[in-house]
Amino acid sequence: MKIFDRLFEQQARQLAQRSSRRGLLKGLGGLLVGGAAVPLLPVSRVHAAEKPMDKGDPSSCDYWRYCAMDGFLCDCCGGSANTCPPGTEMSPITWIGTCRNPADGRNYIISYNDCCGKSSCGACLCQRDEGDRPPYRPDKTNDINWCLGTESAAYHCSTAIVVGVAFEET
Amino acid sequence: MKIALGTLWLCLSMGALAEKMNWERAQFHYRMFCQGCHSPDGGGATSVPPLKDNIGYFLEIPAGREYLVRVPGSATSALNDGNLAEVLNWIISEFSGDSAGENYERYTASEISRVRVHPLDEVEHYRTKLLAQIAAAKARN
Repeated sequence: MKIFDRLFEQQARQLAQRSSRRGLLKGLGGLLVGGAAVPLLPVSRVHAAEKPMDKGDPSSCDYWRYCAMDGFLCDCCGGSANTCPPGTEMSPITWIGTCRNPADGRNYIISYNDCCGKSSCGACLCQRDEGDRPPYRPDKTNDINWCLGTESAAYHCSTAIVVGVAFEET
Repeated sequence: MKIALGTLWLCLSMGALAEKMNWERAQFHYRMFCQGCHSPDGGGATSVPPLKDNIGYFLEIPAGREYLVRVPGSATSALNDGNLAEVLNWIISEFSGDSAGENYERYTASEISRVRVHPLDEVEHYRTKLLAQIAAAKARN
């Protein structure tokens, strides 16, 4: 047992001779400053970039996200541009397009999920149809009822959810 | 000299591969042309088969591999051959889970070009038949 005591004492003394309180403070300071600098490193900021500057009135058909809208705005029906009104179910099957955001000049992918399970909302009818294609391109037409995969096929209103930034070839 | 030429060839082919595969563009195309039905995580919906944890099984047999190109959503999509190959490779890489082997062969534009000219008119029965063949092939291996 004595041998262990002597060994630890020796190690502790050597450590005390080699290091100082200032050295400890220096190391700690370096760690704090370095830690603060880490977020400045060039790491992927894709998710941050995917949140657009969002200006405009979501209850107005002129709102930038509604560029291909054909339906009633959920924002006027008790929901929002992102959410369905209470008592309705968001369709998991949807049609997707892109809209240009005038706030930053970038194109964003927009998912027009319909809210289903109640009769038509009837408020804020909006029909802009930019990029809408004929029914022979079913994945890019807004003329069909997108209440698919929901319990009820009754259409109530439409959302316009930002999915991400559109890819642009450089 | 041989080593130098070999290294050059390797670098050039790696460069060509990197040029062909752009994961950011592939994700964009998935979102634009596939996600509407197959959902953001590939989980599918009531009437839409899940890609997630399943798509790799189709690579077990040649007919299954071709099926992923011949389904109407692929074969008749607005994507060109290179972009369709890229998005299929991205889907397999992102969603296949354990269903694809580690060394699965990536699709190429020339393979897509050859296969997509035979789109499937009927999918459901063909798929059921194909899954039985895949199960039999897996049981044999």
